[in-house]
Amino acid sequence: MDCRAARLALLDEQRGRLDGAASAALATHLHECGGCARDDAAERLLTELLERQLPQHAAPLALKRRLAAQWPARLDAPSRARRWPGWRGALAAAALVLAILGVWASLFRADRAGPLVAEAVNDHLRILARAERLDVPSGDMHTVRPWLTGRLDFAPVVPFAGDADFPLRGGAVEYFLDRRAAVAVYGRRLHVVTLLVTRPDGLPWPDAGRPLTTRFRGFNVRLWRAHGLAYALVSDLDAAELGQLAARLGG
Amino acid sequence: MASRGDEEDSTRWLGQAVLAYADTLYNFARYLSGNRMDAEDLVQETYARALRAAHQFEPGTNLKAWLFRILRNTWISVARRRRSDPTIGGFDTVTSDVEPEPTWFCDDVELDRLRKRVAADIEQALLALSDEARTIVLLDLEGLTETDVAAVLGCPVGTVKSRLSRARQALRRQLKDYTP
Repeated sequence: MDCRAARLALLDEQRGRLDGAASAALATHLHECGGCARDDAAERLLTELLERQLPQHAAPLALKRRLAAQWPARLDAPSRARRWPGWRGALAAAALVLAILGVWASLFRADRAGPLVAEAVNDHLRILARAERLDVPSGDMHTVRPWLTGRLDFAPVVPFAGDADFPLRGGAVEYFLDRRAAVAVYGRRLHVVTLLVTRPDGLPWPDAGRPLTTRFRGFNVRLWRAHGLAYALVSDLDAAELGQLAARLGG
Repeated sequence: MASRGDEEDSTRWLGQAVLAYADTLYNFARYLSGNRMDAEDLVQETYARALRAAHQFEPGTNLKAWLFRILRNTWISVARRRRSDPTIGGFDTVTSDVEPEPTWFCDDVELDRLRKRVAADIEQALLALSDEARTIVLLDLEGLTETDVAAVLGCPVGTVKSRLSRARQALRRQLKDYTP
């Protein structure tokens, strides 16, 4: 591999797009070529700067209201099965067999959950962007929970009150798509972790016992269902640390 | 051939799904246009165009990439119109309105000031790129594959790779104080 090919492959390697042989060839070249190794370090630093430091602008609420008014839509995806004539049942059965394969199932789940993941990240950004403090800037769950309950049309269950590793910073109420969500904010060093709890009805939330972990716009996101409620955990923490908090929350 | 009912269902579903991308689209529009007002107009126009073209969206393909393509094409046509009619207002008068970073979760004032400075420098560096270079960097940041980026830009996949590489080199030159 020459320097030109190596430098074009640096980003592919970062994104995990190189196969084993190409990745090994690049590693060998970087080991032998100081210039390309420096380029690799600079590229990784640039990615980190862009992913962690570039300001993310959330759409103003007024704009979202205008858009929602423009498209007063239902939450459920169109049910193709409902419209299919009977002879297409065989095709549906074949599709079902494919869906049993794990990889297909996970792809399907991730695809359906895509808008949910995006909205969870949006809510996390809104929490980060709040100029004022949280609605309830308290580390005491006994203060946060009653405040939340009084502002929602459901009783939020937040099974973890915070500890030394993940201190509770407070709570708030945000909108998740068309409904209200309880927000509990936890800290981890200088990182912020947002927990959203809302009603799952009408949303393609993962089934109970089958949490979905994914990454979107540089944030790690975990969705799960418990206590008849929908949970979303979002942060720029790495997936392992986010998993530690999710475990404390029962997700 | 899709029936009218199918099209209405598609439109309803798409409308809801697209709403979840409002922030992503707005962020992209902010960096394309460099200001809040144009970004809002761009997103709203993108929604309107997507609504009209909902029946053309192929289920199973990348909705986000489809929306980005509509937004970018909208931006190109607006920019063209403005260039040909200077009374509408040119982008050379646009100033970036950088919003303050959140501060409530940061205890260290000095660290917070530093973070804001770094964020502002990166934003300025990105805005200093050409429209096309900025677009390609943003689409890559959004996690689009090279194939999706190529579809948004209307160019071959190989071109995406080289253009992205050049755009990132330009960014690194702008940010030479941060990257070696």
